[in-house]
Amino acid sequence: MNKNLDIYKLKNGMVLIGERLEQVHSVSFRFLLPVGASLLPQGCCGAGAVIADWLFRGAGTRTSRELIEMLDRLGVHRNTSTSAHHLALSASLEAGNLSAALDLYADMILRPQLAADQFELSRQLAISELQGLDDDPRQKAMLLLYEQYYPDPYGRPAHGKTEQLQSLPFEQTADIAKKMFDPSRVIFSICGNYDFKTVCQQIEAAFDTQAKPGLAVEQAVLKGKNYTHFPAEGAQVHIGLMTAVPTVTSEHYYEIAAAVSVLSGSMSSRLFTEVREKRGLCYAVGASYKTLKDYAGISCYSGTTPDKAQQTLDVILEQFHCLKDGITEEEMQRAKVGLKTSLIMQSESTYARACGIAADHFLLGRVRGLDEIREKIEALSIDSVGAFLRQHPFDDFTVVTLGPDAVTF
Amino acid sequence: MKFEHRQLDNGLTIIGETNPNAQSTAVGFFVRTGARDETPQINGVSHFLEHMLFKGTDALSALKVNAAFDRLGAKFNAFTSEENTVYYAAVLPEYLLDVAGLWMQLMRPALRDDDFNLEKNVILEEIAMYKDLPQFEVMDQARALHFDTHPCGNSVLGTNESIQSLTADQMRTYFSQRYAPNNITLACCGNFDFDALCQLAKQRCSGWEQMDTTRKLEDTAGTFKNKHIVNPHLVRQHICLMSPAVSMQDRRRFSASLLGMILGDDSGSRYYWALTEPALAEVASMQCESMDGTGVFYSYICCDPDKSEQVTGVLQDVFNKLNTAGISEAELETAQNKMLSALTIKCEQPMGRLVSLGFNWVYNQQYRSVQQDVESVKAVQLDDISNLIEQLSPGKFTMLSLGPKSS
Repeated sequence: MNKNLDIYKLKNGMVLIGERLEQVHSVSFRFLLPVGASLLPQGCCGAGAVIADWLFRGAGTRTSRELIEMLDRLGVHRNTSTSAHHLALSASLEAGNLSAALDLYADMILRPQLAADQFELSRQLAISELQGLDDDPRQKAMLLLYEQYYPDPYGRPAHGKTEQLQSLPFEQTADIAKKMFDPSRVIFSICGNYDFKTVCQQIEAAFDTQAKPGLAVEQAVLKGKNYTHFPAEGAQVHIGLMTAVPTVTSEHYYEIAAAVSVLSGSMSSRLFTEVREKRGLCYAVGASYKTLKDYAGISCYSGTTPDKAQQTLDVILEQFHCLKDGITEEEMQRAKVGLKTSLIMQSESTYARACGIAADHFLLGRVRGLDEIREKIEALSIDSVGAFLRQHPFDDFTVVTLGPDAVTF
Repeated sequence: MKFEHRQLDNGLTIIGETNPNAQSTAVGFFVRTGARDETPQINGVSHFLEHMLFKGTDALSALKVNAAFDRLGAKFNAFTSEENTVYYAAVLPEYLLDVAGLWMQLMRPALRDDDFNLEKNVILEEIAMYKDLPQFEVMDQARALHFDTHPCGNSVLGTNESIQSLTADQMRTYFSQRYAPNNITLACCGNFDFDALCQLAKQRCSGWEQMDTTRKLEDTAGTFKNKHIVNPHLVRQHICLMSPAVSMQDRRRFSASLLGMILGDDSGSRYYWALTEPALAEVASMQCESMDGTGVFYSYICCDPDKSEQVTGVLQDVFNKLNTAGISEAELETAQNKMLSALTIKCEQPMGRLVSLGFNWVYNQQYRSVQQDVESVKAVQLDDISNLIEQLSPGKFTMLSLGPKSS
């Protein structure tokens, strides 16, 4: 049990979770709002990205300019992101300004002005950002990969699709924004230097409104493994691939984390060693674990010049395949110390922990304490990781390439 | 927080800021060398050399180096800029001496021919990768245009040609000239024992030989040229502006950073209201980069190619208004608050603190506590900013535009 962890539930179902860090002067908080890309109605792909900008263009009695100036005067560092499940609004600031900042966020979430002229500007920015992805092929390749890999609607791009953004109706988008505060599905997390009782009182006074129904969840449609090449001019071929693994709720979660660490946790990992160090095939290569509520995968990226693309993909796939033969004791030890160090360093950042505890609550229904995670990492062995890898050989891949030439897969 | 400082007889400086409450410790070797210290024949060698340090020593192969870092759970990496090469690692406190000791060995690398030839491919791939990222390409090209013959215009990565023709011998010569102990600062912060670190450095680094590593410092006003580069495969227009700012040695650098924030922070700045809020550009940012003996304000704007003329017109209006009406007390206060909260958040982690600690020493041989930086930001007055606008004229700039549009 984590003694620094606080939890409280409002009568309308909204959950508040907090982790106190005594020695810091900052605080970070995060609202997870259920208007993620998978929840948006058909034809509204990208509405979440538009709303993410629109909320800051006037709320309560404040105009766009008054709101932004107020947030800036409080020194609030903001992060807004959209995922398959949520629109996440996060903030980091000096602890003394917390209460004033929470008031502004309550206005944005419960009383956004949603003016029509501002909608057009938010939509225009969302379209521009989407078009800008064409000039960032690394990121674009991975977004295309997620779209191909996850079952529909979970692969739908949070940043939208150009045609749908261009024809996105104002009224429908405003209606979606009004449904984002479905309290039974809203999570508020906070980490750093705060007083939980005071925070609860303020959140309760501001947010304990009557429950309203939010957006409906669609039935998922599975996709099979596949390879898609997206032609694009450029110096490199950008390769993305993904293979299925259990979600974070699985009893094997830590074995998966160890396997990813062996593949890509550091510079002595197998991918870096085999693809870059021994063969000089690329500059960037790496894999990571991605989990949604019901679907997860290990994704991998590499970018390389066209004449080396086929060999790069082949070497990467071979590294995934041979994991079923197990890992060495030295790899196990390196994975353990790497995972523990990441955990402790994450615990020093109020922003990282505010995100971490919110994600835990959403995915697991509870927050894992740092001690619990540390114990699970300690308990890993080459036998437990090896047994998992034998039972879950990586044979099926979804592959995407973006660049001048396709590969054979 | 306690600061300590020591210097070995050969000139290696060791600085430390200890915080017994920290959960982790960060350590870095700050080598005062980068692209500006290169000639055209060896352009890219500093960055290539940074890669080669990870290839090990006479006693350690590249694979053993990587395994050694990973056994310590180190979060480690390095970066090369126009004027610094920094090697760093963050670890749990119990591994600090091990990781520092490993870096001390790597600072005297083998620079083997085989490793050099293999790593050359990786460097060429890195150059290709950045060619596909116009947001980086535009900065590189703008820097070359602005600085012209001043060495700060040198490309950090080098070109395909300069890297192809670079030899391992040229790299060894460069190494011996630039990686002298009197050109290196070892900085550490977090939870650690300063005396033990110094003891280890004395054992491992005392044999390194001093060299003359003088860097010729010249300021430059820049060229104020205007250039378009057409790339029909790009979708957006990428625009970079550069104009003179102040150096790291200049006491006005806090004022200059605040001016950059007032004009080009991603929230609530002049650029934000003129370009981002009305959806003319999805990115519009400005920052002050203070360097050794010189400095630049640089702006990056990404927009629809069809709106690029309108965007440059709006930028001109922003600077005209700045020249005629200056800035307000409220704008200054807001920028100060944003800068102070960013400073607080960044310095709560040893890794975040390490870079400021190291650079304050490298540039000014001076320790500045977080509190001193806070006081310096708070002390900036409206007059300081007004004087700076008058002295630096940020509205007079070098401009590079990269995108599908022909002019």
